[in-house]
Amino acid sequence: MDPGDAVNPQTGEANPYLPEVAANPIPFYERLRDHLPVAMFEGFGRGTWIISRYEDVRWALKHPEIFSSDFVAVDIGQDRPLIPLQIDPPEHAKYRRVIDPTIGPHEVAPLEGELRVVVNDVIDSFIARGSVDAHAEFTVPLPCIVFLSMCGLPLEDLDKLLVWKDNIIRPNTGDPEQDAKVRRATGAALYAYFEDAIDQRRGGSGTDLLTRFLTSEVDGRSMSQEEMLDICYLFVLGGLDTVTSTLDCSLAHLAQDPIQRQLLADDQSIVPAAVEEMLRYHTPVMQILRAVAQPVELHGHKFEVGDTVMLMLGSADTDPTEFGEDASEFDATREVNRHLAFGGGPHRCLGSHLARLELRVALEEWHRRIPDYTVAEGAHLEYSPGIREIVSLPLVFEPVTVAVAE
Amino acid sequence: MRIHFEPDACVGHGRCYALAPQVFDADDLGHCVVLLSEPPAELADAARLAVASCPEDALTIDE
Repeated sequence: MDPGDAVNPQTGEANPYLPEVAANPIPFYERLRDHLPVAMFEGFGRGTWIISRYEDVRWALKHPEIFSSDFVAVDIGQDRPLIPLQIDPPEHAKYRRVIDPTIGPHEVAPLEGELRVVVNDVIDSFIARGSVDAHAEFTVPLPCIVFLSMCGLPLEDLDKLLVWKDNIIRPNTGDPEQDAKVRRATGAALYAYFEDAIDQRRGGSGTDLLTRFLTSEVDGRSMSQEEMLDICYLFVLGGLDTVTSTLDCSLAHLAQDPIQRQLLADDQSIVPAAVEEMLRYHTPVMQILRAVAQPVELHGHKFEVGDTVMLMLGSADTDPTEFGEDASEFDATREVNRHLAFGGGPHRCLGSHLARLELRVALEEWHRRIPDYTVAEGAHLEYSPGIREIVSLPLVFEPVTVAVAE
Repeated sequence: MRIHFEPDACVGHGRCYALAPQVFDADDLGHCVVLLSEPPAELADAARLAVASCPEDALTIDE
């Protein structure tokens, strides 16, 4: 099917949760913005309103008093609101004041050298083969190794955490009730795991994130065990999934776009701009949810308190009113790029500084060592809806012998 | 050229100090700190790009 057909101007409905849309969302976004700036998605067992134009999405993000992030907006197996994702201002700022400095730009910058070593070690593991499932072997391990190391957690826990993360984000049982059960059970396991990890660190003097949370204060008091767990829950979802999706989309794109790939391979100074363009053009987190907290009207539609609203970030990021006539084209050298891939307003993604560093170093090292690559013949790239991970990404390139140190 | 910064609008996207690191820096929250509110001519283009790239309109320029 054509992804644009997932928007039906006659009924006012649209469905972003189709594999065809996740694989090629731009025609879907375009039809949404042009025909249904407020659309209805009958999914998740309840109706959700979709907002899709750049200025509307940006406005909603800036007004948490109208579009609340309160707990009710999304059930992902958690017992309490995730901190700070599901906390509204002014309470929200108290947590950001504690968490943001632990992964702020000056804090993550010194990780670059170590990160470059990790990326090269991962590339060493497959470069001699001339083929790789870039999802399983590159884009999944990278952010996970970084995350585990920052939290001071053992690398052997990786597989377990990945299963939990996927069970929460994409349980894919085909039945909303069963999905909720899987999420609930996984959530319980995740809480128990981090309860142990936090207990082990009490009284310790480590520099890992969990130990730092133990010794930091919110509003002049220590954080409770529950507050720390609610931060850890979010970190697993944010830290293990979104950089993977962005790298999946980036490598799949460049494997099929030799002209832009050549630009990157020839001149690494454009990588930072290319990262921003990847984030804009592919917007791996297609949408985020909010709950209406005050009656409000948009394009003649009256929202009521309690309505669920989906802010279609990917659609905002390809809106020609903001990005010009070439909004639906990929341009690694695009200059002004006010994309909303990390959201906006007070909830701007708190991992964005770390994510940008990981993406830049990963793309620099990949293209330094593997400047020329394509998607393996006959491979079908399946994108998962919501957060656009590619289930399997088989790439082929000229094999390179890796010198083994004596 | 004079740069005006609205701290209440800044949420720490970090575009300004990434694009014009000699004109802007980050505080520990990742929010903008203006280093040079009247940047010299050789930094003017970078400053303009940085200001135009703020998704929250927290920065403006008087030319």
